[in-house]
Amino acid sequence: MQTALRAVTVSIAFSGLLPAIVSAQSPSAPIAPAAPSGVTAADIRAGLAEPTRWLTFSGDYTGQRHSPLTQITPRNVGSLSPQWTFQTGSYARGRGFETTPLAVDGVLYVTGSNNYAWAVDARTGRPFWEYRRTLPTNLTYGALAPVNRGFAILGDLLYMTTLDAHLLALDRRTGGVVWDVRLADYRQGYAATLAPLVVDDQVIVGIGGGEYATRGFLDSYDAATGARRWRLYTVPGPGEPGSNTWPNVEAAARGGGGTWMTGSYDPQLKLLYWGTGNPNPDIYSGNRQGDNLYTASLLAVDAKTGTMRWHFQFSPHDTHDWDANHVPVLAEVPFGGKPRHVVMVANRNGFFYVLDRVTGELLLGKPFTATTWARELDANGRPIVLNADGSSGCLPDQWGGTNFNPPAFNPKLQLFFVNARETCARYLAQEPQYVPGEITPGGVTWIDRDKQFGALRAIDARTGEMKWEFRYPQANLAGVMSTAAGLVFSGDQEGNFIAFDAANGRELWHYQTGTSIWGAAPMTYMLDGRQQVLIASGAALISFALPQR
Amino acid sequence: MIGISLLVCAWATPPAPAQQVNPFEGDAAAVTAGGALFAGRCADCHGADARGSRGPDLTQRWAAGATAESTFATIRRGVPGSIMPPSAAPDHELWAIVAWLRSISVAPQLVSSGDATRGRALFAAQCQQCHRVGAQGGSLGPDLTQIGLTRSREALVTALREPSKSVQAGFRTVELVNRGERIEGVIKAEDAFSIQVLTVDGRLLGLRKAALGKVAPRAESLMPAFSADKLGESELEDLLAYLGTLRDTGTGAK
Repeated sequence: MQTALRAVTVSIAFSGLLPAIVSAQSPSAPIAPAAPSGVTAADIRAGLAEPTRWLTFSGDYTGQRHSPLTQITPRNVGSLSPQWTFQTGSYARGRGFETTPLAVDGVLYVTGSNNYAWAVDARTGRPFWEYRRTLPTNLTYGALAPVNRGFAILGDLLYMTTLDAHLLALDRRTGGVVWDVRLADYRQGYAATLAPLVVDDQVIVGIGGGEYATRGFLDSYDAATGARRWRLYTVPGPGEPGSNTWPNVEAAARGGGGTWMTGSYDPQLKLLYWGTGNPNPDIYSGNRQGDNLYTASLLAVDAKTGTMRWHFQFSPHDTHDWDANHVPVLAEVPFGGKPRHVVMVANRNGFFYVLDRVTGELLLGKPFTATTWARELDANGRPIVLNADGSSGCLPDQWGGTNFNPPAFNPKLQLFFVNARETCARYLAQEPQYVPGEITPGGVTWIDRDKQFGALRAIDARTGEMKWEFRYPQANLAGVMSTAAGLVFSGDQEGNFIAFDAANGRELWHYQTGTSIWGAAPMTYMLDGRQQVLIASGAALISFALPQR
Repeated sequence: MIGISLLVCAWATPPAPAQQVNPFEGDAAAVTAGGALFAGRCADCHGADARGSRGPDLTQRWAAGATAESTFATIRRGVPGSIMPPSAAPDHELWAIVAWLRSISVAPQLVSSGDATRGRALFAAQCQQCHRVGAQGGSLGPDLTQIGLTRSREALVTALREPSKSVQAGFRTVELVNRGERIEGVIKAEDAFSIQVLTVDGRLLGLRKAALGKVAPRAESLMPAFSADKLGESELEDLLAYLGTLRDTGTGAK
């Protein structure tokens, strides 16, 4: 960054010598009032209808990460070329550059590792401004995973969560902090890494920290002022429904259930769909007998009031760190001859679920991995557990059958695309000592690294059957994007950014970015009539397009 | 089984919190050495007396709540969005500079004896359209939320009376013509082929130079000069008094 700034200074100093530059002579114009950015709540609701914009983490509220753009096709994607690389200079050791940029009127708004952020010129990859938060030196979970997954935007404000568990509103023109609210006390183990979700005039935001003695919650803040509208705790308080799934108040009060991945929203039903994380401690469970509601679940939440409409628990009494912090995917899928409004999740526990999103009724639940934990669900959607602790064959590791890395869905093909992880682990529980601000995994995991691979899988949403797969040598954590042209974009642990034919999984193009594509999902938008595809990798953001004719 | 390994990457132990103390605190020789290092490396922007020129006044840092540790960290990491670079110099040199800065630090300075309430009204009428303070104000000029800590009285007077005398990087004026539209704004970034501008009407505009009709950087600031006929001496004092109260050192957290 400093090099770039120095270059600016030098360029200005010598600009008088350049023949293209004419010296100033016109009088100063009166300063007009600032124009609004034009991003309204209605624009966000309209999703990807405006092709030059990408206004929310998943592109729209459905979480499909499916773009209507068709300039780049299976026939021409082979000539896709990098346009520029933006080197952020901010790297998350052992993790990834997990962001999805927002695109608004030729400007990309990008968050990075260690709570850096930028406004980047979409045409050139050059930054307008950089923001960097001064973080405390005693971060807890935020020190383990110093990542961030993106901005939300409304009007002239950008919303960003921080590793010390705050929510910020930045001025999109300068990166200056307009307001700053504390979500929780980071010293207890809380951290926030997700892209917030703007719904109408409120900012919905979740929290991480389930590896510590924390209690998860989902919050709503007034988009203009940062005043909190509501908070929904994901672990019930004494006497509340679900509190009987915990042995005592102490266990529930530190019960985990983080909300650290951006959810989805149905504007007709006015319901948020949000996943919750593992119970605490992660592996040891001798001090938390019961199902541990509402951890490892999907919650349907009234956006206006923050009340829970229904819940579905994927992994009751989880002992594998199998958070359900996935992007829930909303779509219309036919079941029993009629279209149903569904929400779909490919879960860390290795099962693919389709639920009625009005009622929470289970429509379909099938393994999409070779998991030995369970192979079937009972009539209520509860797994019939065969191998709880790995004593009869290995289990998926604690990164799960997939993870938070966003999946994608092509509604025309009815295909759900997810990067599956086939791994082999044993879990050894150990009772943790509770020291404030210290991590309490409650055990360790042994992983057989010779027995693992990854695969991009296309699952038919109507049947749960796998239509095709593309295998990678290693299990990975890359996100996925689908386009209406019949393309799927994703990446791998070795650094390849790859385009696939959505119909059959054939690899059509790839580009080696130089390091793992880890947690990030691609996005796409139109700029000056050319479709751009972006991916974050390492500490770099790379923009691709077809060659200019 | 072959190749079993203990997975540690997900659950490493976080770094232990530690408040670092300057090993040279009060060490006279180190303070002298630090002053010399400051003169060579920092005075160009911060002034030989550290009271600020292009860069901020550093003499009120401790009064504003900074510590040896945070000052060390700022020198090490630099300041984003500014011309302050990170430093790769050895720890002992940075600690010596910190020790010198501590030795010259002063109690909070009264910027003016004018009326801050009247100054605030003047600010709202004359300045706020371009300058942000906290959650209020415009974006074209620098954020002034902490200006009372980072600029001396002399620097503030100069900035008001002669704003074009020193224009910070990121706020230099440019005028250009793009597809027939005359655009005025400040240069946020520039390379050989492109320019990134915040326009006076609040747009972030990235432009390829080859496609532009005219690019004219101007030495004059977009900020009007508040000469004595526009801003009398007593009004100047009131405004300075208000600016002197702008000392928000926190994150603004509620």
